[in-house]
Amino acid sequence: MQRSTFVRALAAACLLPLGSRVRAASDELTVFAAASLQTALEAIARRYREHSGRGVRFSFAASSMLARQIEQGAPAAIFASADEQWMDYLQERGLIVQGTRLSLLGNRLVLVVPAARALSVDLQPGFDFAAVLGAEGRWVTGDPSAVPVGRYAQQALSALGAWRFAQTRLVRAENVRVALALVERGEAAAGVVYETDAAASTRVRVAGVFPADSHAPISYPFAVVARHDSAAARDFLRFVAGAEARALWRGHGFSVR
Amino acid sequence: MFTAVEIEALRLSLQVALVAVAGSLPLAIAVAWLLARHEFFGKTLLDAVVHLPLVLPPVVIGYFLLVLFGTQGPIGGWLHETLGVRLIFTRWGAALAAAVMSFPLVVRAIRLALEAVDRGLESAARTLGASRLDVFFSVTLPLMLPGIVSGGIVAFAAALGDFGATITFVGNVQGETQTLSLAIYSLTQTPDGDAAALRLVLIALALAIGALFASELAARRVRRYIGRA
Repeated sequence: MQRSTFVRALAAACLLPLGSRVRAASDELTVFAAASLQTALEAIARRYREHSGRGVRFSFAASSMLARQIEQGAPAAIFASADEQWMDYLQERGLIVQGTRLSLLGNRLVLVVPAARALSVDLQPGFDFAAVLGAEGRWVTGDPSAVPVGRYAQQALSALGAWRFAQTRLVRAENVRVALALVERGEAAAGVVYETDAAASTRVRVAGVFPADSHAPISYPFAVVARHDSAAARDFLRFVAGAEARALWRGHGFSVR
Repeated sequence: MFTAVEIEALRLSLQVALVAVAGSLPLAIAVAWLLARHEFFGKTLLDAVVHLPLVLPPVVIGYFLLVLFGTQGPIGGWLHETLGVRLIFTRWGAALAAAVMSFPLVVRAIRLALEAVDRGLESAARTLGASRLDVFFSVTLPLMLPGIVSGGIVAFAAALGDFGATITFVGNVQGETQTLSLAIYSLTQTPDGDAAALRLVLIALALAIGALFASELAARRVRRYIGRA
């Protein structure tokens, strides 16, 4: 008797917050964005909330993961990718509203090492990557078979003639922030991340910047997802590209087109 | 039919799971013995700690391992400096993660088997002059063998499938820590990776069903063998 009352109370306690959360979720906008945008985009969303009173929910992950989830029908209203390829992928499948696609941001690709290592590398063709890693050190970046930062890293290291060696020491991270964290902990000897990620961490040091012509231009396209097109989604996208947000993007180290 | 990367992932998974189970089995027997046969201060705590991997999110276990066994961690740092052993980003680290994750499964199975052992048989052996150690190896151990075998096989299957702890602790290194689960994960993000992912999913399915089947069969065989002996 006592037990069944307890069970019922427990069930009620579990269901209550669920009901309210579902209601709140329905009028919030869901944005799927590349992991490297996290810090800046959260700041912009806070500003947007102050202006409009509307909240934004995020899912930050590798653009590859997000694009595949949107393809499978994930409830994203806006997609922000860290490369043009994954946006093309969705556009080819008719999953984004073409007129809303906007390549808003640019970034730079850097080689980072743990902050304790005073190291500076001139990233020119033929640079000695083995010397950066030491006898058994590994380096980390996003999975080059899909994750944008890894694709840029592969292009850059190939152009500089270091890919063949680099491949043998590579740890494939799920996204750029995971790669950053492994360098922060000192477990990876080096990492290839975006300049903005390096700037967001005090525990890594930028050892070198990859020449811009060693890889495809780093470009962040934004677009409204066709299945979840709404006035609210377009309004947030306008805000993200507006003057106030531009200042915030620049403040976080992105170049704005 | 399979690419070199896929075969490598399969080989690596089997290797990692085998090392994980073989390495953790003696410790699992010892812990199961303590929990089943002894009363001591902190027994509940030990029981809880053993079962943590079953109830904690795997990524938390992976994080613990990263913090403790990374080259910057207290245990991992010591191992690295004194023995030159590096666990992070290596298959040995993957085996450690798999072993920790599957440990509670082995302990549970062995403990159940141990509790079912007729202690009268052990007493009889003692009265006939066998030493404690002798009793353990010639009476208790054979009687709990079904539990050890089936627990070991289920743990092997679980070790094959670990994802969260592995990717958090040892990352995704092709040919070193990219096991079947991690290879599938990579493929789900790759354009046109669906066909390859499906092939690996089928392998994983076959291994899992095979392991459960083998566990059942082995337990039955051992039981019959003991019955006859």
